Amino acid sequence: MNKRIYLSLGLLSASLIAFQLALMQLISAVQWNHFAYMVISIALLGFGASGTLLTLTRKWFERYADFALSLLMILTGVSMSGIILFSSALFGRFDTYLIFVDFSNVKYLFLSYLSFFIPFFLGALAIGLIYIRYVNRIGTMYFADLLGSGLGGIFLLGLLWIFYPAQLPAAVSVLPIVAGILIIPKSWAGRLKVPSLLLLFLPVYLIIFPSELPVSEFKSISRAMNMPGSEIYMERKSPYGHIQLVKCPSFRNAPGLSLSFTGDIPVGDVMYCNGNWFGSLTNRANDDKIHFLDYTGHNLAYMISEPASVLILDGGTGLHAGHALWRGASKVTFVEENKKALNLLRNELAFTIDSLFSDPKLTSIGLHSRSFLLADTSHYDLIVLPPIESFGGSSGVNALEEQYILTLDAMSDIWEHLSDSGMIEVTSWMDYPVRNPLKILATLVETLEQKGYMEIEQQLVAIRSWGTISFILKKSPFSPEEVSGIRDFCEGMYFDPVLLPGIVSSERSVFNHLEDSSFFSSVDQIVSPDRNSFYKNYDFNIRPATDNKPYFSQFLKLDRLNKLRSLFGQGALPFLEIGYFITLLTFIQISLFAFILIVFPLFFTKWKGKGKVYTLLHFSGIGVGFMFVEIIFIQQFILYFGNPVTAASAVLSGMLISSGIGSLVSSGFKKSKRNILLILALVIFFILLYAFILTPVLRASISLPFFLKILFSILLISPLAFFMGMPFPVGLKYLGGHNNTLIPWAWGINGCFSVISTVLATIIAVEAGFFWVMLLASLAYGFALVANIFR
Amino acid sequence: MVTDQIASRGIKHVETLDAMRKAERHLFVPAESMRMAYGDGPLSIGYGQTISQPYIVAYMTQIIEPKADFKILEIGTGSGYQAAVLAEIVDQVFTIEIVPELAKTATDRLRELAYDNVEVISADGYYGLEEEAPFDAIVVTAAAEHIPPSLIQQLKEGGKMVIPVGSPFLVQTLMLVEKKNGKVSTSSLMPVRFVPFTRGRE
Repeated sequence: MNKRIYLSLGLLSASLIAFQLALMQLISAVQWNHFAYMVISIALLGFGASGTLLTLTRKWFERYADFALSLLMILTGVSMSGIILFSSALFGRFDTYLIFVDFSNVKYLFLSYLSFFIPFFLGALAIGLIYIRYVNRIGTMYFADLLGSGLGGIFLLGLLWIFYPAQLPAAVSVLPIVAGILIIPKSWAGRLKVPSLLLLFLPVYLIIFPSELPVSEFKSISRAMNMPGSEIYMERKSPYGHIQLVKCPSFRNAPGLSLSFTGDIPVGDVMYCNGNWFGSLTNRANDDKIHFLDYTGHNLAYMISEPASVLILDGGTGLHAGHALWRGASKVTFVEENKKALNLLRNELAFTIDSLFSDPKLTSIGLHSRSFLLADTSHYDLIVLPPIESFGGSSGVNALEEQYILTLDAMSDIWEHLSDSGMIEVTSWMDYPVRNPLKILATLVETLEQKGYMEIEQQLVAIRSWGTISFILKKSPFSPEEVSGIRDFCEGMYFDPVLLPGIVSSERSVFNHLEDSSFFSSVDQIVSPDRNSFYKNYDFNIRPATDNKPYFSQFLKLDRLNKLRSLFGQGALPFLEIGYFITLLTFIQISLFAFILIVFPLFFTKWKGKGKVYTLLHFSGIGVGFMFVEIIFIQQFILYFGNPVTAASAVLSGMLISSGIGSLVSSGFKKSKRNILLILALVIFFILLYAFILTPVLRASISLPFFLKILFSILLISPLAFFMGMPFPVGLKYLGGHNNTLIPWAWGINGCFSVISTVLATIIAVEAGFFWVMLLASLAYGFALVANIFR
Repeated sequence: MVTDQIASRGIKHVETLDAMRKAERHLFVPAESMRMAYGDGPLSIGYGQTISQPYIVAYMTQIIEPKADFKILEIGTGSGYQAAVLAEIVDQVFTIEIVPELAKTATDRLRELAYDNVEVISADGYYGLEEEAPFDAIVVTAAAEHIPPSLIQQLKEGGKMVIPVGSPFLVQTLMLVEKKNGKVSTSSLMPVRFVPFTRGRE
């Protein structure tokens, strides 16, 4: 039993991390990332709530600890499975957007909070109880906890290849049930073992017959499935997302097609990833004479010159690669980070796209575009960026996604890959209020200036169709012949030039009129040297994104909330910028709940008493500091590994296991004040060091082979994480020796602040950038340091 | 409804306002939604489709400036409500619906309500209705990421087409397409309103 508790604790911790990541996958697939983020953040308050309950009922739990631990773990597993059954009924009536329209939907939101909260609460209750009971062995216990958590991330990564999102929670739930069975007390073994083993049939049943959650009506796959005759004919699971192929007899993809096109757009299959549009499967050319992209803004680059080498970034299903070949490019390089999708396109789906990826002129690379650019040394005549925004707008669902391909730093890298007269092409949907076109324009203009080219109008062209705007940034000035060719192209396509050398204002809306013509003056102000005052005055954030703040799709300015509300109406805001809006809402809710959970126990214990200030400062400081560093590491490593799933797994596992080892080592330390101060000082030193060196070090080593990158990242993460693993067990050990009634409260505080800080880290990263999050992380550890000086 | 939600928001076209008064919206919604028929929002009619917010119907009608002798093509019949409003003003309305069940219900409903000048066709609206072309106006009720070439070809010289641009659930802007002297031009109109539809309890 004594040894088994380590294994059980490790299994339980692994399951809680894996369950959290599984829910993220599952809820993102049926709803949205930001909704998953909100629900899971609030559910994680289960850790804080467990501390509160343990503070109030410590004696009772201690008396029945052995039995309670086993039962709590088994119930954690059962609730993980059971919650999915309950939620499938719940999500049938719920959509995030509806909360802002019909307030009665809030009850479904709270039900979803509650349902996902239960497994975390039960699991955390078991861990907290272990810490109280085995406080004298806290170093090794915390090691088991962190080691389990670290392996839990890797475990889920493996599950993603085997199971569909709907099966994941059940698969994970096996772990805590087994953990509970392992530590059933001898006195109860006869009565409990068989029924507990029988409980394992529940996850097995749910894996064989998964309970699907209904997909949001607002997701693009729902739109396709509403069309008569639509069917999903292929599904694949992977850490890159749940890929679905839809055959829809009435779906024709030709975004932004010119109104002068008189041909026929063929029906094509569509690939979705996690319910979101990924790309259409289009034959390379419709017939011998036309490719429909010839009739869109994308064709502008090919009207200006005949690029021989073309680089397609974030290429999706290869539509633009096919077009480049069609336009006669002799070398096309295609980069797409979704390796699963790329493999499907190369093999099983090759017949639907005329074996595009077998063309000898095409090289396809499964990598994040930015990682590719940092490692690649070639030059290209044309570099095509992925289209910005989806048709109809995504209402800010990508606001918190790190878009490292649309930052100023990315554009600078892209520029360096251009041949002498090379071009960058990027097309954006026109949105209203205008945000995306203005931000990408600002990014292109500032790139030119950074490179020392001050005559913007000579090297930047933009043309507008009925719904899109296409930009071409050229390394050398446009010649008069090229300008005349662009005018002819616009005339033939019913497009209007927006930026063109020698343009007159009447040219800008010959074919496509805007009721709100302020767009043109906005464009002119961004091109002018005085653009900073325009950035400041515009109601949305259209300042270019940077690697330090890589949130291209985040347009919301907090100080304009009231103005936007009065302009567009009370209910409009969430539909304009839902991603960031939800994050702010999450932060408010979590802070409120956490405050209650932390203060509530104080009414039942005593307000005054030794060690409360220390407990609050030490455990909140290290909770905030740890999570700030973890979040920033994940965000920085996304660019390094070129894939969010690999980044999250590498960072989580690397950090948690290193911290676990730190905790284990700390168990041999004396409980002296000097030791804890030294540890905290080292943590602060390392965080400050990393704030300055992390980005350049990662950038310098990004071209290493994958295996070496993994090794290097472990080397980079482990020294800091090793020391970050010590303050928690050392602090608990101190409380164990002085006032052990505060241990559950400390556990609760740490849980609450860990959750608050994940959300807060995102808000600070959006508003001020990664660098500031790191500085504030060191400040948080500084608070813990001060608490220990005066303890 | 007409005074509070439509005229007050700037719809001045007299024929449109009259038509909106005559076509009874509650007869075009499912029985369970009838009490909300005159509310200021879209409603689900099943099959993932909606009956548009009354203001949008009025706005789209006003934009094409329908006259009595017009022949109009509508793409996306849905409940048949927009077709009925148009039929109150013009001689002939052809409306195409891709969901066969909706096409059948709309046909029966419009026949019952004696809209003899409306013909519902159960088909994919992408190709328009060549045998009845050209049309004085075309009303597209479903947002599309490209405007079907065949619809532009079937628009009469001087004709107008109105089409929503934006998410099908959060109608953001409407676009007017006009054909003059063989050339096609567009006008992006200001966003009308942000109202998502509430999922039905089907």
